[in-house]
Amino acid sequence: MNSLYLPHLAQITGIKQETQDIKTFKLALLDLSAGSFFNYRPGQFVEFSVIGEGEAPFCLSNSPTRMPKGSIECSVKKIGKLTQALHDLDIGDRVGIRGPYGNGFPVEQLKNKNLLFIAGGIGLAPLRSLINYCLDKRTEFKGITILNGARTPKDLVYQDEYEHWRKAKDTQLHLTVDCQEENWACMVGVVPKILETLAPTCEDSVAILCGPPVMIKYTLPVLLKLGFCETAIITTMEMKMKCGLGKCGRCNIGPLYICKDGPVFNYAQVKNFIH
Amino acid sequence: MSEELKNKAKELLTNKKVDLIIGYQRAADGVLAAPCFIDSQDDAEKLIWDSYCVYNLASYLKDFPAKRKGIVVKVCDLKSITVLLQENQVKREELLIIAASCPGVIDEKRLNPLDQQAQEIVFAGKCKTCKTITPAYYDILINEPQKNDKLSEIGQDEYEPVRKLEAKSIEERFKFWESEFSRCIRCYACRQICPLCYCPKCVAEQITPGYFSKGVNLEGNLSWNITRAMHLAGRCIDCGECERACPVGIPLRDINKKIEKEIKELFKYEAGLSVEQKPLLSCFDKSDPEDFIK
Amino acid sequence: MLRIAQKEELQKMIDGFLADYEVIGPRELPGKGIFYQPITNAQDLYLGERFAIEPVKKFFFRPSEYLFEGGLKEGSEFLEGIPLAQNKRMIIGVRPCEARGLALLDKIFNTEYKDEAYVSLREKTILVGLSCQAPGKDCFCTSIGGSPVQARGMDALIFSAGSKYVIEIITDKGKDIFDTCPKEPDKEEIKAWESLKEKSNAALRKKIKIPESLDNIFESGYWGKVSSACISCGVCTYLCPTCHCFDLVDEERKKLRCYDGCAFSDFTLEASGGNPRPTKMERYRQRVFHKFDYFKKNFGEHLCVGCGRCIRHCPVKMNIAEIVDQAPV
Repeated sequence: MNSLYLPHLAQITGIKQETQDIKTFKLALLDLSAGSFFNYRPGQFVEFSVIGEGEAPFCLSNSPTRMPKGSIECSVKKIGKLTQALHDLDIGDRVGIRGPYGNGFPVEQLKNKNLLFIAGGIGLAPLRSLINYCLDKRTEFKGITILNGARTPKDLVYQDEYEHWRKAKDTQLHLTVDCQEENWACMVGVVPKILETLAPTCEDSVAILCGPPVMIKYTLPVLLKLGFCETAIITTMEMKMKCGLGKCGRCNIGPLYICKDGPVFNYAQVKNFIH
Repeated sequence: MSEELKNKAKELLTNKKVDLIIGYQRAADGVLAAPCFIDSQDDAEKLIWDSYCVYNLASYLKDFPAKRKGIVVKVCDLKSITVLLQENQVKREELLIIAASCPGVIDEKRLNPLDQQAQEIVFAGKCKTCKTITPAYYDILINEPQKNDKLSEIGQDEYEPVRKLEAKSIEERFKFWESEFSRCIRCYACRQICPLCYCPKCVAEQITPGYFSKGVNLEGNLSWNITRAMHLAGRCIDCGECERACPVGIPLRDINKKIEKEIKELFKYEAGLSVEQKPLLSCFDKSDPEDFIK
Repeated sequence: MLRIAQKEELQKMIDGFLADYEVIGPRELPGKGIFYQPITNAQDLYLGERFAIEPVKKFFFRPSEYLFEGGLKEGSEFLEGIPLAQNKRMIIGVRPCEARGLALLDKIFNTEYKDEAYVSLREKTILVGLSCQAPGKDCFCTSIGGSPVQARGMDALIFSAGSKYVIEIITDKGKDIFDTCPKEPDKEEIKAWESLKEKSNAALRKKIKIPESLDNIFESGYWGKVSSACISCGVCTYLCPTCHCFDLVDEERKKLRCYDGCAFSDFTLEASGGNPRPTKMERYRQRVFHKFDYFKKNFGEHLCVGCGRCIRHCPVKMNIAEIVDQAPV
């Protein structure tokens, strides 16, 4: 009997050390028939498990346009028991995958718009999926601006893709770190401050942000001040999600479940419940 | 008695002697009592004191750090405050102890849940063997001591239930507890209500490593209930709140009393008698007869 | 469809069910209360007015159960589901509020994403209810769409009428099992049954008003005040016929699903140390909003059946009915 909570087995086919405590895992589902229904959209997530150790949700961090069928990428920051167990794995090891879950980014709503991506730390993971998706379908979107922040230069993730992003047509990448360090040529300052100086246009634009709660908290007022309307501010949220199916009762924001109704929301949907 | 309490409370709040008073009010059903937290003169009218005031309010002290707290206590409740002071969990200067001489409290479980009216009082088991009615120390004492003649069945042995269990064979005893613990639903009401269960992260919640099963099964239930009792060894003052809070009627006091009895016999130690007393299991003595400790 | 049986006849029927079904019903454990347990004999059943402490929820959404196992086989990992129970069951003596609770749980577990363990137990179980004639002082089912004689979610509902039992047959399953009871009540008996129902409804005295929406008072200081006595235990959620929050835990290479509840401080605690519901104010507010606001927005009715268990068994007499009734909307 297959349980709703029974994962598919997947094999680790690649591991990349992004920062000191973040690794990106490339995974291929073992059961190819499972691969046939494993179609995902940018912004969705999976429940990723180390068998016998535990399970936790992780966003799919690369665009489906860049992954072979049945393959995914997840970036994992070492933070607790499960993520430690994940970091201990090697290429060839097997893990469990359930999903894909969640709504994903409203790609249709983004078409023919200027896109402003704002990320902090590992918050770039879900945005990277959408950024690469948009770059692969470049003609469908207008200007792309990416503002990516981290504590230090060493904490910046997906560094090997920056060159590719910078070179893309009509695309700007701004990097910032919280504190000045040697050999750092980009900006210094927290994301909301930098956003204020960049002052990107709100005209025909949608802002998509993901990062630590404190970044979200101080970035939202800046966006509103720049003239972005509440429905043109999109964020992808995270909470403890055990089932991924709207049943276990943890991840609601008001009547909405992050796992089932999200994780992508516009500001108008959640403003009454986040502080 | 309630009037005296109300007046004192008003006085304390007006004179800013305390920031709040943790006491009892009548529950919504009009019969039972419920905990209340009074921070204004007007609210002080809510305060009551009678045999329905079963709760040990000391478990709420941790909710109000750095506030000057008045707290209404019975003899048994005060003992748990004594242990909290001994273990540096509360500061005496933040406490204003309002001792109420205790007429004995009801056994809630004996109230018929279908009955809509107040019923004749059946006293809680712990009260039947309670020897004192006035707390050992206090800042304010409410009412003259008055012993309830329904209580204090002189000579009643407080360890009688324990002796009955001790008389059973090991197999019988295990069967007894296996059956009792089989009803445990792992709601942790016993832990949450206990004034001395204050660990920031309980062993039951730890996952690295996980010490025992979270499942409702013999292993998990046995491990949880025994761990809880053992962690209170030499600390439990027998307020009986764990047993009262247990929705499925596990006789938790019997385990606590067994440990209490062993400790009395082995170490001549009784928990909660004085703040100056050194906590039994968190200090050692060079004259200890056991070798492992030296 | 109605049937009528003498007490002895009903007992005989129940003894007959034991041959084909695992029969579960309320039993009295002296000094402890009423508990649903498997019976071996109709005499084991307690069909009086007191309520079971735990609702029948636990026979469908179990307090803890293993969902699948995984591990190493021939040097490589495997994952395998655990076979579902196959035996036919019957639960006798279920109260209207509890059966209604199951109908609400269906909205969570029997949806587009079917929870097989729950759904198969539901399908394999026949529910025979027992109406309430002396509701408790904490019961408030009539304020929330239920009643002491409501048959929603049941296959048949039994009414105790003196020395006899009136059996209201609701579903085909119910019809099948009470096939052996041929006697229909006569006009007088039906009249008596109807007045019995009226009396039962009237006996439920506690009435509360439930606000249309709690939207405007999410930020109210009221929640901090009413939650201050809460001790953050799991009594209210575990004993609630409709609370369905759970945890998924890996134990011994098996996936354990067990009850969890919004009152616990680590329910929403994240590995990073962050907690969106850090104090009991946020947690208690979540409980009230989930039951009396969010669920209605999502599923059209409240996630509460008014059984009063959370009030009756709360170690510190928190009273959700009063708290909702007096909410400053």
